[in-house]
Amino acid sequence: MKNALRLVIPVLVTCVVAAAGLALTYKVTEPKIAEQDRLAEERSLQAVLPDATFTCLESSRIQDDIDAAAGAVDVLDTFHAEIGGEHAGWAVKVASRGYGGPMVVVIGLDTSGSVSGVTILSHNETPGLGTKVITDEWFLEQFPTLEAGFTDADVRGLDAISGTTKSSNGVRNGVAAVGRVYTEVLSGLGEGGFE
Amino acid sequence: MSEWFRVFKQGLSIENPLTVLMIGLCATLAVSTQFQNALFMGFAVIFVLTMSNVLVSVFRRLIPSEVRIPIFIVVIASFVTIVDLVMKAFVPSVYSVLGIWIPLIVVNCVILGRAEAFAYQNTVGLSAADGLGMGIGYSAVIVLLALIRELFGTGRIVWFDGVLFSLPAGYAPPSLLLLFPGAFLVFAFMIVGARWINERFEARKEAPACRP
Repeated sequence: MKNALRLVIPVLVTCVVAAAGLALTYKVTEPKIAEQDRLAEERSLQAVLPDATFTCLESSRIQDDIDAAAGAVDVLDTFHAEIGGEHAGWAVKVASRGYGGPMVVVIGLDTSGSVSGVTILSHNETPGLGTKVITDEWFLEQFPTLEAGFTDADVRGLDAISGTTKSSNGVRNGVAAVGRVYTEVLSGLGEGGFE
Repeated sequence: MSEWFRVFKQGLSIENPLTVLMIGLCATLAVSTQFQNALFMGFAVIFVLTMSNVLVSVFRRLIPSEVRIPIFIVVIASFVTIVDLVMKAFVPSVYSVLGIWIPLIVVNCVILGRAEAFAYQNTVGLSAADGLGMGIGYSAVIVLLALIRELFGTGRIVWFDGVLFSLPAGYAPPSLLLLFPGAFLVFAFMIVGARWINERFEARKEAPACRP
C-alpha cells in the first residue's frame, strides 16, 4: 500500500499541475483562437462569393431538410448571401470525410445555383500529399464550371488528383451534397423565406 | 561553464539528434518542404525540449523510476499543447500547414529520449544546455534541409505571402525534391556532410596530441 502511494502521488501531482497549466493557457488563447477562426471563416466566405454579406440560416425545420438532402456529409452552416440588400446566392459550410478525418469545405452558389467558388477551411490531410487539393490550384478551380442544377454525376465527372484520391473525393462529395441541398431545399426557398 | 558549453555543443555537432543520433526523423522529413514551416517547427522543438529537460531535471529526485515514462509524457504533452494553442492563436497560417505535426512532437523520440537519457540523470544547468543544444541542432538541420528542398524543388523561398528569393525563370524544378524520396536523398547527403565536418574537427583536436 505504501509503495503504491509512493508511485501514485507523483503521477497525480504531475497531472494536476499540468491540467492547471493547460487550463490557464487555454483561457488566455481561447478568445484569440475564436477570433482567428471567425476571420478564417469570413475569408473563405468572401473567397466563394466576393463582396457579399452573409447571414446564417437558423431555422431548425430547414436544417432537418438540409440534413436529409446532404446524406453522409455534415452540413455545418448555411449562409444566405446578399449584396446591397439583393439576394446574391448561398454559401454552405460542410464537413466531408477526407483521408485524415473531416475536411471543412465552404461552397458558394450564385442565385441560379451554379457553383461560384469552393474553398477548404480546415483539414487534417497528409502534408504534401492530401494538401495538393489546396496547393494544386486547378483542382478547386474546376468546380465553378458546375452549372445550375448540377448532379452527383456531374461532380464525379470532374478530375481528381492522382495519389490523393481520398482527399479529392472528400471535396467532391462535399460539393455533390451541396448540389443536392440546393436542388431539394434552397431552390425552393422564396425571396421572403430566408428568415 | 566549460562543461555547460561542451554539452551544448554536443547537440549541435557530434550528438546532433538528426544527422548523428537519427531520431525524430518522421516529422523532419515530412515538414521540411518549406523553409517557413521548418523554422516554426524548429522553434517549437527548441521550446518543448528545453522546458521539458529543465522540468524533468528539477524534479528528477522526486520522480520514482517505475513511473518516470508516464510523467515525462505528461510533462512533454503539456508543453506541446501550450505551443499548439499559442501557434493557433498567433500564427494561424503556419499552424494550418504544420497542423498535425505539432501535436506529434509529443511522440518525437528526440524529446522523450533526452528526458530519459540526459535530464533524468543530470543537473538543471546541464539539462538546459542539452535541451538548447539538441533543439538548435535539430532546427539547424531541418531548416537547411527545407531550404535545399524548397529552393530546388519549387525554385523559390516563400515567407508568408511574399517571396524571399527565387531562382532564374528558366529553372524547371524537379518535384522529386518535394516528395519523400527527395527528402531521403537530400538528408543522406546532409549526413555525409555532417560526418565530414565532425571528423575534420576531431582530427584537428587530436593532431597535437599525436605529434610529440
